[in-house]
Amino acid sequence: MKEAVTRVRLVYIGGAVGLLIGLAVILTVPVRLARGQEEVTSKIYRYRERVATGYYEGYEVSPRRARAILETPGIKRGLFPYGSSSAMVRIRARLPDSHKGLKFYYRNTCIECHPEQARNIHSVRAGITCRQCHGPEPIPAINHYYSAMNTIRRHSYVCAKCHEGATAAFASFYVHEPPAASLETRESFPALFYTYWGMLLLLVGTLAFFIPHSVMVGLRELSEHLSFSVPHTLMVGLRDVFKKLVFFMSHSFLAGFRKFSQKLSFFKPQNFLAGYRKLFKKKEAFKNETDNAP
Amino acid sequence: MSPKGKTRIRRFSPVQRLFHVLLMLSFLTQGATGLSRMYIETSWGKGLASVFGGYESCLTIHKYVGIFMICWFLIHGLYLFFKIDWRQFPRSLFGPDSLLPRFEDLGQAIQHVAWMLGIDRLLRLDRWGFLKKLDDFLLRITRLPPLNRVSYLKEFDGLLSVITKPPRFDRWGYWEKFDYWAVFWGIPLLGVTGLIMAFPLFSTRFIPGWGLNVVFWVHRIESILAMCHVFIIHFFIAHLRRHSFPMDRAMFEGSVDLAAARHEKPAWIARLEQTGKLESQLVAEATPGLRALFYIFGYAAIAVGAFLLIGGLVNSPSITW
Repeated sequence: MKEAVTRVRLVYIGGAVGLLIGLAVILTVPVRLARGQEEVTSKIYRYRERVATGYYEGYEVSPRRARAILETPGIKRGLFPYGSSSAMVRIRARLPDSHKGLKFYYRNTCIECHPEQARNIHSVRAGITCRQCHGPEPIPAINHYYSAMNTIRRHSYVCAKCHEGATAAFASFYVHEPPAASLETRESFPALFYTYWGMLLLLVGTLAFFIPHSVMVGLRELSEHLSFSVPHTLMVGLRDVFKKLVFFMSHSFLAGFRKFSQKLSFFKPQNFLAGYRKLFKKKEAFKNETDNAP
Repeated sequence: MSPKGKTRIRRFSPVQRLFHVLLMLSFLTQGATGLSRMYIETSWGKGLASVFGGYESCLTIHKYVGIFMICWFLIHGLYLFFKIDWRQFPRSLFGPDSLLPRFEDLGQAIQHVAWMLGIDRLLRLDRWGFLKKLDDFLLRITRLPPLNRVSYLKEFDGLLSVITKPPRFDRWGYWEKFDYWAVFWGIPLLGVTGLIMAFPLFSTRFIPGWGLNVVFWVHRIESILAMCHVFIIHFFIAHLRRHSFPMDRAMFEGSVDLAAARHEKPAWIARLEQTGKLESQLVAEATPGLRALFYIFGYAAIAVGAFLLIGGLVNSPSITW
């Protein structure tokens, strides 16, 4: 008993010391208040065309470079991932009209080609349509320099229409979230994938222990001899009915199992031998019969 | 032995019962408002949301009740701080009245599972000649002389008797400790993730916006875990098992039946009897009117929980996950 107490105490003191060391380590990390975004200053002044860019080039706040999406499966990255002719078709992320050259484009709706993109909270719950964010025709690619969806101005041109005061860091929320459980998400958005599966493991693990546990407690307590009387007579009656029901069900199940096992009795070694014995006996009987025959 | 009329033993203080009632009410409100937003695509969710005034006001209620829960959690922390016996500080934490896990809990859990599986009855199989049959079988295949057989039979018997000692629970069983610490981990996790999502402009000053995608899933799965645990396991343990069949009134009345406690928590009663504190802990049963109130309140909570659980499970295929 005393040893157990000292061991428990050791564990707790060890845990507390570990926590204190962790806190001390955390305190040594320099505090940066706006960790979600960073300030960028540049001296680039470009010739501005007709379209206002919304990009204050002298002084800008942009999302930090902590990217969530590492890679998109099926899309190659790099300097020249595709040949020149296939690049015309496959790399549309910087075109002024992202649907340029597609056959029968005007006869389709968005969801016919992008069915998964409609499965998100913005469109399902709030009823926001594609065009409310992606704009009218021609729909520019999101990385096109003058696109409203370009990350340099998405927060002010798109998100802030509903979320007043949206910042660039806020706008790095993924509206078209990849399915958290899928293996493709492990490649594209690993933080989401591992968090999802970790939490699911916690959920399933807890329930997988405690649901059978409580069922077993309930069943075992039914067959327990109590040294005190349960005061609710009506409930005792109900309980006895339930008890009989459980006994009836379990007995009928066992009887069925017994019949089933009798069918399989050949596999029991003693029955196996008995069967052989019977066989031999029958043969002997048969022999005797033939011997006795005239 | 006990004074006349005092058939019950005190288990929870009025403050602890108040904590539990407030937790019940706020937990059910959070579950209902949260699920009505999650299931707003289905008619079940729309109906549930209309109780609280629609999709938008569900969120408002959810946020305010969430902040209320966080406040009560902090107050509970203060309560714990003043509740700790600081004079015998380290030792009082590991005592039998404390809710902190001990090594004994692990052993008791193993013993309890063995008891549930009926391994203690395996000893009685000896009476049925099970060991004799086993012995004959082993004799046939190994052809050991009879002298050696006695020793292994004894060893087998001794091993069984160690596992099959039924657990003698003290004041808190391991499952009750788990219930307490589940809430203790759940409220900070749900509270922090909820605050992050409730004030996204402020929180994205510290985390990137895609952190909200992650935090959303943490909040969602943790709340599903909490609701499944409460609506299935906690309700079963407190209402459906034979010991507490119609309802375990301990959390409302503050006391449990002495005979039942002696049966289920023998070490607790034995300890109180040894130290002579049992007499001072005995209380009388609540009045019938009060008991009826407890039953109505408890069964209302069960009804809400069952409605949320069944509705949530049935409608889960038809929402966008």
